[in-house]
Amino acid sequence: MFHVSFRYIFGIPPLILVLLPVASSDCDIEGKDGKEYQNVLMISIDELLDSMIEIDSNCLNNESNFFKKHSCDDNKEPMFLYRAARKLKQFLKMNISEDFNLHLSRVSQGTLKLLNCTIKVKGRKPPSLGEAQPTKNLEENKSLKEHKKQNDLCFLKILLQKIKTCWNKILRDAKEH
Amino acid sequence: MTILSIAFGTVFYLLQVVSGESGYAQNGDFEDAELDDYSFSCYSQLEVDGSQHLLSCAFEDPDVNSTNLEFEICGALLEVNCLNFSKLQETYFVKTKKFLLIGDSKICVKLGGKHITCRKMNIVKRVKPEAPFDIRVIYREEANDFVVTFNTSHLQKKYVKDLMHEVAYRQEKNENDWMHVNLSSTKLTLLQRKLQPDAMYEIKVRSIPNTNYFEGIWSEWSPSFHFRTPETTIGEMDPVLLIISIVSFFSVALMVILACVLWKKRIKPIVWPSLPDHKKTLEQLCKKPKKNLNVSFNPESFLDCQIHKVDGIQAKDEAEGFLQDTFPPQLDDSEKQRLGGGVQGHNWPSQHEVITPKTFRGDSPLGCLAGNVSVCDAPVLASSRSPDCREGGENGPQVYQGLLLGTGTTNSTLPPSFPFQSGILTLNPAVQGQPLLTYLGSSQEEAYVTMSSFYQNQ
Repeated sequence: MFHVSFRYIFGIPPLILVLLPVASSDCDIEGKDGKEYQNVLMISIDELLDSMIEIDSNCLNNESNFFKKHSCDDNKEPMFLYRAARKLKQFLKMNISEDFNLHLSRVSQGTLKLLNCTIKVKGRKPPSLGEAQPTKNLEENKSLKEHKKQNDLCFLKILLQKIKTCWNKILRDAKEH
Repeated sequence: MTILSIAFGTVFYLLQVVSGESGYAQNGDFEDAELDDYSFSCYSQLEVDGSQHLLSCAFEDPDVNSTNLEFEICGALLEVNCLNFSKLQETYFVKTKKFLLIGDSKICVKLGGKHITCRKMNIVKRVKPEAPFDIRVIYREEANDFVVTFNTSHLQKKYVKDLMHEVAYRQEKNENDWMHVNLSSTKLTLLQRKLQPDAMYEIKVRSIPNTNYFEGIWSEWSPSFHFRTPETTIGEMDPVLLIISIVSFFSVALMVILACVLWKKRIKPIVWPSLPDHKKTLEQLCKKPKKNLNVSFNPESFLDCQIHKVDGIQAKDEAEGFLQDTFPPQLDDSEKQRLGGGVQGHNWPSQHEVITPKTFRGDSPLGCLAGNVSVCDAPVLASSRSPDCREGGENGPQVYQGLLLGTGTTNSTLPPSFPFQSGILTLNPAVQGQPLLTYLGSSQEEAYVTMSSFYQNQ
């Protein structure tokens, strides 16, 4: 009997502590009326998508791990947007163009500003984009670079589309309520 | 002692803090007054040069010495934390693509690197659109209006696309009498009737953001456009139309005048014929005596008139026999028809008046000045009939046997022709059921009276 009580004392509280962050959201969406999104963010998202119009949406052979882990499910929209906005920053290094980077920054920074999240994410080394292995020759590196770039742009396009879809879902839910 | 020192230190500290709060400085100047001198205002212009935005700030007090003053904006920027303004005469500006356009920014005035005054501002709430341009006015003659069109660069922009425009126009001679019209499109229609004819007008337009997110102030006025309204259209009327309108006007006037003049005599009797008035008809049948008719009972006045004394009234049978022997072959067919027709509708008078045919002198009706109307004026006699005579006509076919003589000279015969102008011959209607002959009118055409004569005599 005594060890049973230990189970309840030392087993359940930690479980609650672990599960609590998952259930609660640390983000407070400010732009639920949609003004900032429709007048600023959506314009930049459309500009980015128009610049990647030649890239097919089905370019990814297999679904990325990011989308497997994060999705715009019910009650998880703010978290998805938060992670997606942070992911966008990684594409600034591609240096496609100045306007491209500015629109990308606007979408990322604007989303984070509207979400107003208090989550502290552990600093992880971002996955490398377009880095070739030094052991192979230059030509193979170039082709790999190019292939990698296309994959990254493909991922970016899908990410932007999912961000747009998630914002529309938030605004729709806000109108219904 | 310790407590006392602490108390003095606290009091001194409080005094210093209070004096600092009130802005008292060593030189005696108030720092608040200095802050008011550096108040400034800013406005933004988005996509003014391609995708670049412009933020302009200036001091509200034009007397501010801005030699060493600088402006800085921090917050709501992309890729950077702060941006410094450039100076152009008395205006500070920054031209960049790096505005986030979400959230507030902080704009500060710096003097020697030190912030003098700062102000929080949202760039999207202080947008000043670009002034419209290419304003034109086209006159449409067929619609009698003026079409005002203008252009704005915001139609091709991504952010500030929806604007509210204000069109102002005035007559050039009225300096401050501006008319204002608000519209969201770039086309306006002005009606000609609302403008003065043959006048010179001035028109201009400006814009302001009209979205639920971007707000701001009025743009500068567009360059004015001048146009002249046409003259009144009376002088330009089609001459053919003018002639037709004049002719039709005079025609209508003439018809109205004729209608007024001929109303009583011609038009009203046709439109509203009056019912026959028997009294008036009878009065008209009896002609009025002449004015110069002398009435006299002096027998010498009737010397010209041949008066035959009436001996008496013959019996009816003899009259009928006389008529059958002498008159039928002498009558024309038309007279027979007339007489026969007259029989059906006529009333035999109950009165009996005897006149000999010899007394009829159509040549000199004036000779009968005795006033014997019964001799001279047949209509008068006819009118003297009583209404009872009509009933006689209904009893059966009446025989109109022509002219009868009511004198004692039964042997006398009438000449074939009867040069009568007027006269009545009647016989004694004593025999009931037997018709009497009457002859009315001076001519054979007026042998009998019909209802139509009532209408004619009116």
